Amino acid sequence: MVLGVRLPISESFAGNAHDKDNTQNKDNTQDETDSDTPAGFSNAVTKSYQTSVQPLLKKHCFQCHGDGDEVHGEVNFQKIETEQQIKVAFELWSDVLEVIDSGTMPPETEPRLTSTEIALYKAWYQRELVDTIQSLPDVLRPRRLSAHEYRQTLRTLLGFELEVSIVEAEQTIVEKSLVMKLLPVDPPGPSGFKNDTSANPLTTNVWEQYSFLIDDALAQWLSIEGRENLERITGPVVGEHLTSTQCEKLLKWTLRRAYRRPPAAETMATSLAVLDGKRGAELESALRIELKSVLMSPPFIYRSLLATVDDIEIVSGQVGSTFSYGRVDDHELAERLSYFLWGDMPDDRLMRLADEGKLRDPDVYASETARMLADPKSQNLANNFGVEWFSLNEISKVSNNPPVSHALRQQPIDFLNYLFTEGRPLLELLDSKVTFVNPHTAKFYPGDRKRMAAYRKQRGIEVEAVPNQRLELISTPERGGLLTMPGVLAMNKGPVMRGTWMLERVMGEHLPDPPANVGQVKPNQPGENLTFRERFELHRSNSTCAVCHNKIDPLGFAMQAYDAGGNYRPSGVVNGNKRKPKNNKKQPQDTNNSATAKTVDTSGRLPSGEIFDDYAGLQEILVKSQRHTVIENIVKRTLSYALARELTIHDMPTVADISSKLDRDGNLAVQEGTYHDLIRLVVNSLPFTHAQTQSPKHD
Amino acid sequence: MPWQLDRRRFLRSAMGPLLPLPFLNLMERKASGAAADGPPIRFMTLFKPNGVHPPSWSINGGTEFDFRMSPLMQPFAKHKQDLLILDNMGDFGFSSHANSTRRFLSGHHRNTKSASVDQLIADRIGKGTSYRSLELTTEGLFPNQIGCSYISYDSNGDPIPRESDPQLIFDRIFRSPMRNPSKRREMKSVLDRVSEDAKSLSRTAGAEDRQTLDQYLSVVRSTEKRLESIAATSNDIPKATMERPLAPANLNEQVESMLDLISLALWTDSTRCVTYMLGNSNSRMIFDFLGVKEQHHYLSHFFRNFSRQNLDALLKISLWHMEKFDYLLTRMKSYRDHEGSLLDHSVVLYGSGMGHSDNHTATRIPIILAGQGGGLLKTGRYVRYAENQQLGRLHLALLKMFDADHDSFAYSTSPLPGLNDSDFTPYREQPFQSWVKTGDGTITVQGRLRLSDNLDEARIFLIDVQGQPPIRIDVAFRDFHDFNLAYHCGTPVKITGSVTEKNGQPVITKVQKLDSLFGKKPGSANG
Repeated sequence: MVLGVRLPISESFAGNAHDKDNTQNKDNTQDETDSDTPAGFSNAVTKSYQTSVQPLLKKHCFQCHGDGDEVHGEVNFQKIETEQQIKVAFELWSDVLEVIDSGTMPPETEPRLTSTEIALYKAWYQRELVDTIQSLPDVLRPRRLSAHEYRQTLRTLLGFELEVSIVEAEQTIVEKSLVMKLLPVDPPGPSGFKNDTSANPLTTNVWEQYSFLIDDALAQWLSIEGRENLERITGPVVGEHLTSTQCEKLLKWTLRRAYRRPPAAETMATSLAVLDGKRGAELESALRIELKSVLMSPPFIYRSLLATVDDIEIVSGQVGSTFSYGRVDDHELAERLSYFLWGDMPDDRLMRLADEGKLRDPDVYASETARMLADPKSQNLANNFGVEWFSLNEISKVSNNPPVSHALRQQPIDFLNYLFTEGRPLLELLDSKVTFVNPHTAKFYPGDRKRMAAYRKQRGIEVEAVPNQRLELISTPERGGLLTMPGVLAMNKGPVMRGTWMLERVMGEHLPDPPANVGQVKPNQPGENLTFRERFELHRSNSTCAVCHNKIDPLGFAMQAYDAGGNYRPSGVVNGNKRKPKNNKKQPQDTNNSATAKTVDTSGRLPSGEIFDDYAGLQEILVKSQRHTVIENIVKRTLSYALARELTIHDMPTVADISSKLDRDGNLAVQEGTYHDLIRLVVNSLPFTHAQTQSPKHD
Repeated sequence: MPWQLDRRRFLRSAMGPLLPLPFLNLMERKASGAAADGPPIRFMTLFKPNGVHPPSWSINGGTEFDFRMSPLMQPFAKHKQDLLILDNMGDFGFSSHANSTRRFLSGHHRNTKSASVDQLIADRIGKGTSYRSLELTTEGLFPNQIGCSYISYDSNGDPIPRESDPQLIFDRIFRSPMRNPSKRREMKSVLDRVSEDAKSLSRTAGAEDRQTLDQYLSVVRSTEKRLESIAATSNDIPKATMERPLAPANLNEQVESMLDLISLALWTDSTRCVTYMLGNSNSRMIFDFLGVKEQHHYLSHFFRNFSRQNLDALLKISLWHMEKFDYLLTRMKSYRDHEGSLLDHSVVLYGSGMGHSDNHTATRIPIILAGQGGGLLKTGRYVRYAENQQLGRLHLALLKMFDADHDSFAYSTSPLPGLNDSDFTPYREQPFQSWVKTGDGTITVQGRLRLSDNLDEARIFLIDVQGQPPIRIDVAFRDFHDFNLAYHCGTPVKITGSVTEKNGQPVITKVQKLDSLFGKKPGSANG
């Protein structure tokens, strides 16, 4: 086991629902006897895999999930051989555990695993993927600022926003931010979040856009019109040009902020030397080019580039190698905290605390975290983390009318902001009596809308975007929480997409893409009178489909009392997955389906056995018996966003630890964990506060 | 070359005398080896949103060379000799904003697989310039009817993204290292500085930092190489000293800055083809700087939302659109280009997608051509066609002018005659008789239909009858709409209707029958 490293993770980190009883009390110092099989760095892993797991897989799984004629569900066990491949696939092993435990795999037509075989797998899983997995931070890795972070950072640095200079009109879409307009749209990284730019390298095109933006920024910053802003840094400017003292001051000021840490003395000297012996316009021109160089330099456009770690502990790894990790320095910690909570560079106060070496003082760190959460900039959590987690940008496609799609999209964002920044309990995500509506969304809340403040359109205005109001839900029992918001319901078309989305985004499951040859759900044949659900169930009744659809469908069909537009129609015409009749929007939906008179069947049974009649029943299950799954997903997403990277197996102990602390083992008597608790735990976790040192360079 | 301009003067001199700009030998230099071809001819389109209020726009009467410009035309009346005003253009009864906008440069709204006429012309004239064409606009996308936001379409018939920020356009054209040597030198210094920094960081970096820095340096190196190759082949223009437009305080400043840039881009031969929309075709813009608080589109429905106050506000906005046309023409005239002005060597198309902005008739749409186009157009004329003409015919004529010959365009097969010296007698309106016959509670009138030019009477139509006062038509919205009175405005019709007397004059209160003397029936399908 790891030598001499004390981990913050202890008692119940292996809070895996399947094997709670087997969980050992994990104190890492106890395992010194196992020192030949240290965490995750052992050939023993490969050996035990070959002896206990691979034979099982060969016997039961390779036929469909190996190098056979066809690889099902994008799972190919035959490709997994090395220790690295085994560890990277940790989520797959947890899925395997689940499907063999629940009996969904192997399919019904194939022989089942015997109980001995299942026990063998479980023991291996517990030993190699739970018990012996050490909590480790990632290596310090530079990461390019995402477009959004770049925008915010530049704005904070300059004191103004780079905006497209045009006049706006209602009902039109304009990207006002010049940064967002010019920089390529960030694809979500491997973590699923856009702040994970690990797979999105600098290109010459991006370089040119940076150059264009910085030119624009400096033109404004140094312009006569912008003097007032600039003088806050340089002091009063007399005459046309800055004095050389003022230029130096501005350059120093910029270097420290652009690097988000005090620059090395050598860097500072090289930079200031550029100004030497110049005056007037020549001086200002030299200053401008030097400022541009600073704002185009690697420490500005990459995070963590100059970061260091201290209090390093050496950990023994494989034979002949070691690795080490320690606390990240104050400025790196400030940057991590600030980009997590604000999507922005640290402010002056945070920078000063880092300069003074005070930020790692637990009390200071806690109060700074609280201060930052109370700052309006923490709206970033909802605007970016929340939007990307729940794919809320999809809502923009629901309506072509910008004020309407704005209202539908802004509702969940305002709600998430309320949860995050006001420190609401975690599961209010699904079950809340508070929502945020405006006149465009009020119709979905017929029982409560009368308590909304009146809105009067001005004469001559046709439609306009309107801010949301907070509304307590008293007489709208069919709404509450994120899942029943009209925009969220409408962005996912039909029960399968709704179910898949819930499974992935709320329950944290990973689903493979469906096979390509599934075809369409057959319409009712003459004489048949089946509901869409009945026809769909026929369609997907084969066992391959069932693996995923047993999980997806109960979730999706539970939402069928809400139509494609998000309206509540418990007994009305609801038909998910319908095909739009061509050329006539007003035609009744899915004319093949004569079963519209039947009441919508929203009942279901989860693979875990719980049954429910409708969404209200499902919600009850999600916040009670399935709460741990939901909470664990909330923790994983939050940690992944905070770290701006995909989680690895070495983060799982942290996830388990935070989840169990927030869940309080499901003891409802104890007050539930809140989003503030979650954020506090995340920013104090090992992967957030620590890093492995980089490997020495190899020439 | 020190031709630094005072920005305020540069941007705001429209009202004063022409700007004494130094003559730049640029065009001669560019045209070297092709001197016999003369200066390049440019094609510029200016689009006005939300149609017009026909009584204020239309010229009712007059002849080809002897005509009086309408009240709305007054802002650019001083350019009369440079204008070719076309009447009875467009042949659709009712039209959506989106379709009428598509037709503006594409001829027909179903012409969705072809490039718009500006792009076909750009293919012909845009070669060798920095920007084959520029597609510009004033406001953002209107996603509800996406077609309202575009007039220019590419060869697949897909809308071409537009740009609306004058500063951005200025920087792209005049400040890019591509064409600006001082910007290039500056970029070189920056590249030297950052690679120096990155290398020194790299000396102490660990593996992961090192990897990032290597990637960074490789981008820096390829940028350097690119700069070198540009420097070798560059087509520079010395504009580094030209002042960049300020961020606009209001729409007027934004549009004037853009018109300045357009003229400058055309003059410096950075591009020869520009389309600019003064707004989306159903613009919701609020003209607060004119003291108007209502949205433009709301006001443009002046029949339904009728009040004198609304109409006054609408006319303020329309006049502003006309002033911008004047601004463009004045600016283009101020640039000396070879032995004439920039305008002399350009064809400017100005107009809107629809005529009557409340009724959405796409007939009698405002269309004006300006500039001689180096002799391509014969200006100083008012050309009224007898029948409503397809826009596709105008486009076909323009294509022919620019030697971009097409046999047909947008279902039109013969070019519109009358733009130059060509004979268009067959298309002229033939003389007709006007008369009134009264019967038992009904009246039948033949004569030219028009809207009342009394602004308090936006819902009143008149039929002019020779030798007597015009017959008033004061009908409900239903009749106005069903018989599409707006479609027939400006043309001779025969109308039968119920009549009552008001102040001793007959007034038609219900239309029973309407026949067009020369024209077609309005299209019943939405177009």
